[in-house]
Amino acid sequence: MTTAVQVAASSLPQPSRPRRRSNWLPLWFLLPAIVILVALQVVPTLYSFYLSTTTIKPTDTGVTDVEVGLDNYATLLQSQTFRDSLWHTAVYAGSFLVITVALGLMLALLFNRKVRYTGFYLVLIFLPWIISDVVAGTMWRWMFQQTYGIVQVALNPIIGSSLYTSASGAMAIVVAATVWRSLAFTTLLFLSALQTVPTEVLESAAIDGANRFQRFRSVIFPLIRPTFFIVILLTSIRGINSVGLIYSITKGNPGGATQTASFYLLRTGWEQGDFGTGAAVSVILFLINIVLTILYVRYVGAGVE
Amino acid sequence: MVTSRATRIFDAISTHVVLGLFALLFVFPVAYALMTSFKTRGEVLTTPPTFFPSQVTLEGYQTLFFGSNGFSRPNLIPYQLPNTFINSFFSSILTIVIAALAGYTFSRYKFRGSHALQLAILGLIMIPGLTNLVPLFRIASDLHVTSTHEFIIAVYTAGGLPFTIWIVKTFFDTIPQEIEEAALIDGCNPFQALRYVLIPLAMPGLAAAFLLMFVDTWNEFLAALVLLGNDRMKTATVGLYDFQSSFETAYHVWAAACIIIMVPVLVIFLLLRKTFFEAMLQGAIKG
Repeated sequence: MTTAVQVAASSLPQPSRPRRRSNWLPLWFLLPAIVILVALQVVPTLYSFYLSTTTIKPTDTGVTDVEVGLDNYATLLQSQTFRDSLWHTAVYAGSFLVITVALGLMLALLFNRKVRYTGFYLVLIFLPWIISDVVAGTMWRWMFQQTYGIVQVALNPIIGSSLYTSASGAMAIVVAATVWRSLAFTTLLFLSALQTVPTEVLESAAIDGANRFQRFRSVIFPLIRPTFFIVILLTSIRGINSVGLIYSITKGNPGGATQTASFYLLRTGWEQGDFGTGAAVSVILFLINIVLTILYVRYVGAGVE
Repeated sequence: MVTSRATRIFDAISTHVVLGLFALLFVFPVAYALMTSFKTRGEVLTTPPTFFPSQVTLEGYQTLFFGSNGFSRPNLIPYQLPNTFINSFFSSILTIVIAALAGYTFSRYKFRGSHALQLAILGLIMIPGLTNLVPLFRIASDLHVTSTHEFIIAVYTAGGLPFTIWIVKTFFDTIPQEIEEAALIDGCNPFQALRYVLIPLAMPGLAAAFLLMFVDTWNEFLAALVLLGNDRMKTATVGLYDFQSSFETAYHVWAAACIIIMVPVLVIFLLLRKTFFEAMLQGAIKG
């Protein structure tokens, strides 16, 4: 450390006069971040809030926004398609969350046994993480293609029907693909937390006769709880917000069975050009994310900063 | 750990078996795409499907690069792949620089509202990415900047900043304050302290943040779909998506494109993987 600092310090330009830390400095350093976040995140989001209370009407020169109050929300909540899409979000995000957390924790515990030569597996498991949703979606769509799909054909003797064209099968495929894409990252987060658990504590627990499960429950889990909180928060938000894989694997099919609320947003708000309704969906999703975050902070993250 | 030799051996074997199985399962789709990319147009449509190509051919790659067999050359290789690189590279660099400035301030200066501001920035992660697409499209249209590198780079930067600021700030927190205080006493200004002392020490964390950002932007699809209309300005993921209409069942061309799109980011990942894993395991992301 010291040498690094000395080297770094010796390469410094020689100062001409002593300087003081000025109080307005934080502002200057934060300014670029704040400007870009306000311009391209906060303003568009507020604009979206506004759009959610409008609907577009064609005029002589093109289209214009007409304010309609909360009509879009009322229509949405009455729409069976939208309510179905919320349910599909719950199924998709819920199963994605449970499977990712369970498998991620399991893999992290295995990697943390520090058995030799397991690093290579970590690199291989990371492969899906670097692949884009569109590339991944393309691969998964082929594997389950009815007549040429290598996985579907292999499964035929067991299940006998096409997964891709059945409602629950298609949902299983998109959930599996989403887990496949993000499991490595979750594993890494858990592994980083597990490595902070002191071996001595585990050893003394083992000496006291605690079995593996007891050691996990009463020693490991409390220590990795902050990471557990972050993982379920990030995974839930990801499950609720992401549409890339669904868009490129099933496009919401068959018959809307994999149409989540985010996908519904994309379809109405972008593809059909109904900006008002799309914006209203996004506001609803944003509120769902906030409510979930508050619940997590209360029940999982208690004691976490 | 107090475990018997038998338990240790059993643990080692079971660990290898389970992790090995997962690794195999996880690599399978990629391996299948790689094999498919070397098949002929006829072989990708055979039933039952084959895993290994019965004869290795570069037909898929040839069509992808030059166009052949009645297919015209797609814009993927000459335009869309370079676009993807430009957009990802510059937005990642820009994000890291801006996040380093912000992360430094949050890590080193205690000012009123600092905590609230950090939470507000992190809270932006909760906004569904789709929320902003229509407004951004309208803003871009009004400013006549649709289908430009500059606008999408700015959009990616805004999208990546909250998470990156968090990672960088957490990393700066692990570096003792005394180190750059010495530099400050020696007379350098805060910017120099950041540039010459903190940043070199935080390099592993910054490299990890860069990789996270680069992978995300390389693979980004929806913003690129909405904000880039001109085919020659599109990114590779959107170009690949368009294969649905231009290449239909020519899966060997699709597969070749999948592999080509994957390779650059794979190379960067393999180069940075040691630093990345070390930085992440040191706790780059924590509560």
